[in-house]
Amino acid sequence: MALEVSRIQVVKASMVLTARNFFADPQWVIPSIIAPFVFTLVALFLFSNVTGPILLYAVLGGGMMGMWGTTVYGSGESISFDRWNGTMECTLSAPSPLIWIVLGRVIWNTLEGSINAIFILVIGFLWFRVGVSLADPLLFAASTFVTFLSLSAFGTLLANVIVLSRKGGFITNGIEIPVYIATGTMFPIGLLPFYVGAVSYSIGPTWGIDAIRKAAIGSYVGQLPFSIFVDIAVTIIITVVYFAMSSVLMVRVEKIAKRNGTLGDF
Amino acid sequence: MLLCVTHKRIYRDANGGSRLAEYCVETRDLRREYLNRNFFGKVKSRTNALSGLNISIKYGELFGIIGPNGAGKTTTIKILSTLLLPTSGSAFVLGMDVTHDLYRIRKRIGIVFGGERGLYNRVTGLQNLLYFSDLYGVPPSVSRKRVPELIEMVGLTGRENERVEKYSRGMKQRLHIARALVHDPELMFLDEPTIGLDPAGARDIRGIIKQLKKDGKSILLTTHYMFEADELCERIAVISKGNLVALDRPSGLKKQVRDITLVELHVYGDSRAVSSSISELPSVSRVFSEDSGDRTIIRIQTPDGSEVLEKAKVIASQNNVRIIESSIKEPTLEDAYLRMVEE
Ligand SMILES: Nc1ncnc2c1ncn2[C@@H]1O[C@H](COP(=O)(O)OP(=O)(O)O)[C@@H](O)[C@H]1O
Ligand SMILES: [Mg+2]
Repeated sequence: MALEVSRIQVVKASMVLTARNFFADPQWVIPSIIAPFVFTLVALFLFSNVTGPILLYAVLGGGMMGMWGTTVYGSGESISFDRWNGTMECTLSAPSPLIWIVLGRVIWNTLEGSINAIFILVIGFLWFRVGVSLADPLLFAASTFVTFLSLSAFGTLLANVIVLSRKGGFITNGIEIPVYIATGTMFPIGLLPFYVGAVSYSIGPTWGIDAIRKAAIGSYVGQLPFSIFVDIAVTIIITVVYFAMSSVLMVRVEKIAKRNGTLGDF
Repeated sequence: MLLCVTHKRIYRDANGGSRLAEYCVETRDLRREYLNRNFFGKVKSRTNALSGLNISIKYGELFGIIGPNGAGKTTTIKILSTLLLPTSGSAFVLGMDVTHDLYRIRKRIGIVFGGERGLYNRVTGLQNLLYFSDLYGVPPSVSRKRVPELIEMVGLTGRENERVEKYSRGMKQRLHIARALVHDPELMFLDEPTIGLDPAGARDIRGIIKQLKKDGKSILLTTHYMFEADELCERIAVISKGNLVALDRPSGLKKQVRDITLVELHVYGDSRAVSSSISELPSVSRVFSEDSGDRTIIRIQTPDGSEVLEKAKVIASQNNVRIIESSIKEPTLEDAYLRMVEE
């Protein structure tokens, strides 16, 4: 009987393996806990004169940066990890499309990133006494979730680049900072030149992060002049587009790598 | 099937794949070229890794490809296991075209690469096997039973819950074989599975390969150890620089180098006249002599060992040279191999 490879089975297995790999390396503490913590600390020092909502804005910025860092890094690294671990060929020789394997990894990385974000908020609340309540906890949870999804999707797009070339690591390292800026994680988008702003609008997390802030801070005037529901809807649409693009690209990438004989390079 | 119109005898097997009646692997003029590019992507040079390989492997056969480093063994395995596209020519695995039926082929083949590669070192052996079971879509109810059996088969029982990084080189290689078996493939590609192992570790792997053969798997094994191919394989393809230089049963390959049967004579006395007379015998290809303490060793290369030895004895006694000992050395497969790949 021919085996039907179940997508959910593959995504789940891949996610679990990535999590196991993650916890097996004690260094995970550094990017996941220490780095976001330091980001928050710096943000709080920068905004030391302000109070209330603006402080929360700063803390959210730190937290989101934690998410971004681990997602962009993690999804890129989890593929290049396969390259130097020598598991690229074994992974690709399985009869399941690569997108499902990558998706499992990226979901784990983003999950881990959003746990960082919550960790940051908890530090902010408990230690620095930033704010006391979220304006709308339910919408906050919903917008965090879709942001998380769009981060996953973005991660899969990056993963394609990684598989394609051994120069991929260089590309993800370089993309991280512009992404912080373009998504308005660090500065409000309004401060950016127009063409960078245009890029910002096409990135799902930009909308998601704005939605998170709108849900968290009652008095927050969004970087994007839309209601939170529009933000969430657009985030979802962009996310779906990302995933669709990813899976198409991935098939293409695999073909090119097979033609060039670069699958096993490390 | 559209893809297989060139084949005459095709039937559909239980898995829905079309299948040649006789061969589980068939390549036709298989070529693979690598472009070596410089930093800017310009093509610097080309490597012909395979220049027109033709092999056919029967169902249930244990077929060996032997060749020195860089001969094209891994390239062949990668093409057959759908990980690399041929530059030209065609390859059919289980009756399916390697460039089209990727997933259907992958479900039915198992691939083992030699060396440290292919495992997740930070997790346990068991977790590795369960992960790959999921990747191959093996139902959990099946893998729960099969995985312990595989662990048993490769002799890792009791160690399956340790992290792979704690395994010895040999244990890793055995786990790697188990990994390739999680979906119970009917055809196995083993690419230098004993490379870098100590003799005991290599023997364990050869034992497992014999077991796989007994279990009815078709196997393509590559190696650069001739004795290994001799011990395991029913037929051996010798390749060198991307070309097939011989394809035969081990006994047939040995026959091809019959002329390097070596007759060795240990003699006392002045042997120069003897050597030159022997070298004039019709079936002798070469004669070497070497002083060794009080005696001289004469080595004679010939396809007809026993006949030449008789004639040499006569020549020696005619020249009053005493033979202390004599022997005939049949060529080993190693000799055959070395000669073929050096030519
Ligand atoms: N990805 C690659 N790019 C360029 N050349 C390659 C690549 N892979 C293999 N080669 C070259 O192709 C030839 C055959 O390699 P390979 O199939 O790995 O040989 P073997 O496995 O028999 O040692 C060698 O000359 C090798 O250097
Ligand atoms: Mg090789």
